[in-house]
Amino acid sequence: MKKPSLKEVEKKTYMSYHQDGLIDIFIGVYILMFGAGILLSTWADFAMWFILPAIFPAIMGPIWISAKKSITIPRIGYVKFGIRGGNKLMAVFIGLMVAALGVFMVFGLGASTDQGWALALRNLIIPNGMIIVGILAAAISSLFAYTVGLTRLYVYGLCTLGLLLAAHFTIIPFAYALVAIGLGIVGNGVVLLTRFIHNHPLAQGDQAIANKAF
Amino acid sequence: MSQLYVVESADFLFLQKQLQITPGNLSSHLSKLEEAGYVEIVKEFIERKPHTALELTKKGRAAFREYQQSLKQVFNDLQH
Repeated sequence: MKKPSLKEVEKKTYMSYHQDGLIDIFIGVYILMFGAGILLSTWADFAMWFILPAIFPAIMGPIWISAKKSITIPRIGYVKFGIRGGNKLMAVFIGLMVAALGVFMVFGLGASTDQGWALALRNLIIPNGMIIVGILAAAISSLFAYTVGLTRLYVYGLCTLGLLLAAHFTIIPFAYALVAIGLGIVGNGVVLLTRFIHNHPLAQGDQAIANKAF
Repeated sequence: MSQLYVVESADFLFLQKQLQITPGNLSSHLSKLEEAGYVEIVKEFIERKPHTALELTKKGRAAFREYQQSLKQVFNDLQH
């Protein structure tokens, strides 16, 4: 007999809130922004391409909240998760930011000096950029998948790694690989969203019954 | 109660969807839990719409922990 597990209930509750595909669309569009930015810098000599992914969270934040309010909450109801889950996510974010800062410092130092180790670092990174980005993407998505319990993030990480490895060995430009990954994730998000809307039709009466009952 | 134990609060619709029971059935369960002092029902307005949020009280959380412990004991006894 299987023991009842509160962790399972917690996981199921959390997962049900992210089965709407919005998080996938958000991640996919974010990756697309990187791809589009790099393509713009190549085609239109748009040197400030990194502005696109940088401003994206500020633009998408309100859209995300509004989409949750108008699509998810009327269909499956509202839940406020405790601070425990939030703390775990915050720890992952801070850890990633510290790691990213460390990586940027090493790269910045490597780019500003001509010492042997810096040249060796550049010779390692520049020709293997896509492999490195692929491994980092797989590691970060696995970390998030483990933290929030969304197993499809593992798949996204592995697909990204696979596609970037393929792009590296077939000399497909990095920007095209990013656009393909972004489109794939957005596509999956749209499928999930459509399924979610189909499986959870708007039930006007439920909230009214709740409000009358108490 | 396990659903409410793992979150801070949830509304009626969320609980109904998670538990897959009818509104009437859920309403009757919640009324009993409220009478026992295990569940607090918070009525509020969100964007001018009435909203009913439900959360476990301290007493409810303590009672659930106690129930969980006794359930664990039963499972352990069954295994040995």
